[in-house]
Amino acid sequence: MSAISDPEILANSALTGRSRLSQLSVSKLVIWALVLFLCVTPFALIIAVSFGEKIEGASWEWGFSLANYQRVFVGANWPEEVTFLYLQNLYYSLYYAVLAAILAVLSAFPFTYLMTGLSRRAQSAWLVFILSSLSLSEVFIVMGWDVLLSNRSGLPMVVKETGLTDWLKAVGWFDTLREWGLANPRNVKFKTSVFATVLTMSYLVWPYAVILLYPPLSRMDRSMVEAAQTMGAGPWTVMRTVILPAVRLPLFGATLLLFVFLLGVYVTVSVFAEPAKQTMAVSVYSAVRGATLNAPFGAAQAVILLITAGVFLVLGQWMSRRAAT
Amino acid sequence: MNGLSLKGIYKVFGSARAVENVHLDFAEGELTALLGPSGCGKTTLLRMIAGLETPTSGSLHLGSRDITALAAHKRRFGMVFQNFALFPHLNVRENVVYSLVISGTSKSDAIATGERLLDLVQLQGYGDRRVGQLSGGQRQRVAIARALAQEPEVFLLDEPMSALDAKLREDMQVELRLLQQRLGVTTIVVTHDQREAMTMADKIVVMSRGKVEQVGAPQDIYHRPENAFVADFIGKANFYDGVVEDGKLRVNGSLLETNSPANFINGSDVRIACRPEVPCLGRRDVAGSQLKATVTFVRDVGPARDIHLKTDIGPMVVEYARGEEQDDYHVGQDTIVTLPLDGLHVFPEPRQDAS
Repeated sequence: MSAISDPEILANSALTGRSRLSQLSVSKLVIWALVLFLCVTPFALIIAVSFGEKIEGASWEWGFSLANYQRVFVGANWPEEVTFLYLQNLYYSLYYAVLAAILAVLSAFPFTYLMTGLSRRAQSAWLVFILSSLSLSEVFIVMGWDVLLSNRSGLPMVVKETGLTDWLKAVGWFDTLREWGLANPRNVKFKTSVFATVLTMSYLVWPYAVILLYPPLSRMDRSMVEAAQTMGAGPWTVMRTVILPAVRLPLFGATLLLFVFLLGVYVTVSVFAEPAKQTMAVSVYSAVRGATLNAPFGAAQAVILLITAGVFLVLGQWMSRRAAT
Repeated sequence: MNGLSLKGIYKVFGSARAVENVHLDFAEGELTALLGPSGCGKTTLLRMIAGLETPTSGSLHLGSRDITALAAHKRRFGMVFQNFALFPHLNVRENVVYSLVISGTSKSDAIATGERLLDLVQLQGYGDRRVGQLSGGQRQRVAIARALAQEPEVFLLDEPMSALDAKLREDMQVELRLLQQRLGVTTIVVTHDQREAMTMADKIVVMSRGKVEQVGAPQDIYHRPENAFVADFIGKANFYDGVVEDGKLRVNGSLLETNSPANFINGSDVRIACRPEVPCLGRRDVAGSQLKATVTFVRDVGPARDIHLKTDIGPMVVEYARGEEQDDYHVGQDTIVTLPLDGLHVFPEPRQDAS
């Protein structure tokens, strides 16, 4: 009896073993497929669409045309006529993003450094507050700043009512502000300006800057600062020779990350940037959803923006690896 | 005279008194050890001397100069930190000459001084290494060289040996002491290790609970502890509680003779300490109190031998160095132990603290 049942049991267990193995590999396969689908498909689709062709008065069709890319770089009527309109948009994307990322990191750095010197309780209270501010959407923040910077009811009104405008005119700085595009003949104005765009963009990512800088700064060995002090270093020398070099890589990394993030900002730019100084993100959107309804052209711009971000990330990686060795 | 003196130093953190009414003088060129258990306020005291903490009250003077309010970076007392606090973004030489570079010393002078200092701490040829490539002992040497580069008037070390392994620690203690004597710099070392303090220091300051318990030369502190805490913390001791009775001590019914409790009135409670190397075993020719004893345990640790006894006054440990004349004691053996007249330290019963 037992002689018969033994091979049966063996066969059964072999079967369950095999089915368990296949179950495992199936679930693994499903997860991989899902990841692949979610991560790769949108990009692949956009890349594919960017080679498509627009049908006048209608939608677009699949194809393999480099016309959209040509239009991004030198304009639609090349070689008869060359225009760098879209490269200029790309330039402004980079310009705003660089300035705003640097401004955010530079202002978040001293704040975060002081924060890490507080008691544990105070630190966690600040962190919770900053994390919760991340729940504000871009639209909400832009609305707030829109009111704050608006000519009638915002800061310009305060400047005028407090007599600051008259004072600026009296000392002659008002003309300088006009040259910078931060004033009209009557009063200072922030909308629309590079200033307002960069300010709001850096405000947008400021909490991220704090959160990115917090771990390296709180990990930093405070006794290094004290050691420098006992060797004659005043506060500025300590900052310059000890703290900044110790966290230079995280500082650079945070700036890079925020910069790449800011390349895609849409609402802020469309509200605060001058019409002639719009970014590629805005023109992508207007191509896809706006008046022109040219999805392939929008996709081509999006691909260029993506490649730009990728190039900066790779360059940044390379530079920080070089600096670390 | 250009020594450092502390007058009535207090430091209060919230409701906790970290340092209480400390008066100390550090003579020029001397090495002083601040010794005590962790949390006794020794590091806080050192940090106040460095200028990294401000005393709640009291004053610090360097020579005739009041430096109480002087910031750390203006005092420029070289300090070696417990974790060495080397700058990882600088190489060894740059670490060592940091103080010179930020004070604007010319590059050639700084490099020359750097080489001389690396020579001094026996790290010739290590100048270009990264800090991360050094062993613990080498890091400590860099930290010492770095703190000495600015030729400080006072040299401070906060538990400098605690990050080193035991063998290296003993070597470095001797080396540091020799270096300090060669340079003649006023030095203050914080440590919780009494061997370390006794190896290196001209003077030991024993601290507990923010207060100074005793100040003196190492041998003084060992042989003439002023209170039970010091007797307990420095070296080993057998402790007994007793009562003074006509110039003698009554402990658990036995009467001990001593020549020390003259200044106690009859009936006062006392705490008695006896160093383990003091009692004599098995000899009747020594003047003192003789007690019957039974051997309960023998611990042979190589150079010395601890014999644990049961006596009428309580358990006692007697330590013999190798080579001293001795019988071969074994567990259960009955013998006689003699406590010499001058071998007992008698202290008033320590205050029963609420804490």
